Amino acid sequence: MTERSPVLSVRGLSVRFLLPGGRRIAAVTDAHFDVAPGECLALIGESGCGKSVLASALLGLLPANARTAGHARLGDLDLLTSDERTLARTVRGRRIGLIPQSPAAHLTPVRTIRSQLQETVAQLTGVRGRAALRTAAEQAAARAEFPPDHLDRHPHELSGGLAQRAATALALVGEAPLLLADEPTTGLDRDLVDRTVDELRRHVDADRALLMITHDLAAAERIADRVAVMYAGRIVELTAADTFFGAPGPRHPYSRGLLEALPDRSFTPIPGLPPELGDLPDGCAFAARCDRATDACTALPPFTDSVACHHPVPAPTPEDIRA
Amino acid sequence: MTDISVEKAGKPDAAESAAPTAWRAHGTARRSTHTLRLRVSAALTAVTVLAVLLVPPLVQLDQQAVDLAAKLQPPSWSHPFGTDDVGRDLLLRCVYGLKVSLLVGVVAALTATVIGTVVGATAGALGGWADRLVMRLVDTLSSVPHLLLGIFIVAMFRPGVWPVVISVALTHWLSTARIVRAEVLSLRSRPYIDAAVSGGASRWRVTVRHLLPGVLPQAGLAAVLMVPHAMWHESALSFLGLGLPTHTASLGTLIQGARGSLLAGQWWPTLFPGLFLIIPTLAVAGLAGVWRERINPRRRSELML
Amino acid sequence: MLELHAVTAGYDRRAPVVRDASLTVAPGEAVGLLGPSGCGKSTLARVAALLHRPDSGTVVLDGTPVHRYRHRAPRDRRTAVGVVFQQPRLSADPRLRLTDLIAEPLRATGRRAAAPARVAELAQTVGLTADLLTRRPHEVSDGQLQRACLARALVLRPRWLICDEMTAMLDASTTAALVRVVEDYRTSTGAGLLAVGHDRTLLNRWCDRTVHWDTVTSTATKVLT
Repeated sequence: MTERSPVLSVRGLSVRFLLPGGRRIAAVTDAHFDVAPGECLALIGESGCGKSVLASALLGLLPANARTAGHARLGDLDLLTSDERTLARTVRGRRIGLIPQSPAAHLTPVRTIRSQLQETVAQLTGVRGRAALRTAAEQAAARAEFPPDHLDRHPHELSGGLAQRAATALALVGEAPLLLADEPTTGLDRDLVDRTVDELRRHVDADRALLMITHDLAAAERIADRVAVMYAGRIVELTAADTFFGAPGPRHPYSRGLLEALPDRSFTPIPGLPPELGDLPDGCAFAARCDRATDACTALPPFTDSVACHHPVPAPTPEDIRA
Repeated sequence: MTDISVEKAGKPDAAESAAPTAWRAHGTARRSTHTLRLRVSAALTAVTVLAVLLVPPLVQLDQQAVDLAAKLQPPSWSHPFGTDDVGRDLLLRCVYGLKVSLLVGVVAALTATVIGTVVGATAGALGGWADRLVMRLVDTLSSVPHLLLGIFIVAMFRPGVWPVVISVALTHWLSTARIVRAEVLSLRSRPYIDAAVSGGASRWRVTVRHLLPGVLPQAGLAAVLMVPHAMWHESALSFLGLGLPTHTASLGTLIQGARGSLLAGQWWPTLFPGLFLIIPTLAVAGLAGVWRERINPRRRSELML
Repeated sequence: MLELHAVTAGYDRRAPVVRDASLTVAPGEAVGLLGPSGCGKSTLARVAALLHRPDSGTVVLDGTPVHRYRHRAPRDRRTAVGVVFQQPRLSADPRLRLTDLIAEPLRATGRRAAAPARVAELAQTVGLTADLLTRRPHEVSDGQLQRACLARALVLRPRWLICDEMTAMLDASTTAALVRVVEDYRTSTGAGLLAVGHDRTLLNRWCDRTVHWDTVTSTATKVLT
């Protein structure tokens, strides 16, 4: 496969929150990753690890006490240095489609899906005129497989799955090359998770790039091409999804612990709690919970060969792969 | 995607990580207008309160001192706000008037808020027929124009400060009761109330420990916003000649007394008391606006990760 | 026994959310109730926790039928059932520090003196550090807050535990940790559990038996319990 230039290229992205009293919260530190067209990167980690802050940073939706560093290039534009006007007028909806966490809350309750789609079409595309808008909205609905006979319903008259499709249809209107899904499956049933994820996958296969932020490992396994594991604000492992979820499995002890905690695996929790983002240790943030920790872990592990750990599970050798 | 891109994404660019980190701020513009509004409002409120508290005991001048030789003088150095129709200094009268109006406003607003909170919280916490009964009463009272009701109450008493306070307080708890009840109802359906009930909390404990503290910021905000409103009511009642006795300086009696001279082209006896009414109103509204944003849960959760 | 017989419940008598549901949990037993979101299983969980009066049907708790719900239920009856809800943010009074959150049921039932020791013990059990205990809900993560909510549910040593989608918002490791706390508690006290959820894999792994919502509400299987 030839390498294509990534849609989103994040280099050294860090986010700090300044709190009263001079406290600094290191929400995201030195994140590096790319997302290419036709690819889904799943960003996984426990709640409070900084993954949602990363999404807010990309959309320019950080609160006023946040400070950022690094770059997040979307084509020729750096999302971190762009002003609100640029982000609002040319990025959100047009170049990044946001698929929200709770579609029912994302849709305007007092208006029908059709009117919301038409409004978004009129906003984001050049389509004008009543008949043209109607057709365009119907096409947008069809792209997300939203049933046309439900277009005149209000959000509360839709099932969770259809509300999700409506929100996806809205996110797709602007033909954005990058889709950003923040916990799109929280609180959904397993069947609905599978359907939502499969639909997102169709859009990835239609050559869009998808960055999916989730704590649902099963959903990530179903959709992702690559997986980035975030712990205490840092990406500690970034690897192909099939080796991560299948054999030989993840290499970072934290990733292994996360997978082993699943009810269909050993269902054992990782001991302890994640460290406070306002009070991170100098060395490896996971060392305190890690059974492989050594003296080396007092130094920050560099990110080498897909993992940031001093003693990762060895990478498979070519013989292992053949076996 | 490919192994090559994994490699590229994984390795931090050496040149970039070596460079010193340059932190960028976001969304600062919103914050600066925010603090400006806060500062101006706070300063105006402070000046108003300080003037009312400090001027009368410090200057030791008689606001009632009549000087018929100097009646209806336009603003000058010796009388910065001019004098009224019997030659009393208007600056001094305005400060004393503001003191009375502010006192009436604060006491009436506090009383109304306490009544409203108790009624609203009781209705919301009890629910059922008690709630329906109380709220129908509130609806009935609200359907009567409250200035009219206020006039009726004042008319039952001899003119003075307390009838005005009672009249304003008794006509203004209705909206607070509505706000508090709505807030209690919305809090009551939260799972944390279920958790408290399941943990053995009595109805009284749930109300006092979990419902009321959640409602107090809203009620406090309503009280602050009601202070200028109550001042306006005092002025309206006094202007109609039903409020305070005319010799007691209040913003309302001052404006009322100036009515005659305004037609004769003397603008200052009306303008300055008017300004004294408007400026504290705007300042309090500004402060309340800042407060409202503070108690807005969205702002509170800004730091949440 | 915690028995629900032909319970119909909802918020509008004309359109009940739960129709004719029957379910029994034996002491020491862990029952998983599996159902799609919005099917009414949370309402049934609230009925079982004596927090919602059903329109019809009976709840029998430890052999005695329940006639009064919420505040009207005798205190020792409602505190016999501990509950944990889906969303920790909504289940925690935003003004209380985590210590007070956990100690609140002890204070509400007049056992104030026992609070410090019991809170310390439970904080250890659910894995909360002393530093976290001094914070308010908005200063901790969802996972940490849910640990505190579980501690609060256990603080009065209930004989029954109802976990309504307790882990739906949580990551795999926190889920496993909280389930382990519940299971350790059950092993040591012999409490019964009703775990409501939509994750079949999780409930099958967690519970002694898992029943599906459709079988709970259909009349055909009512005798099965």
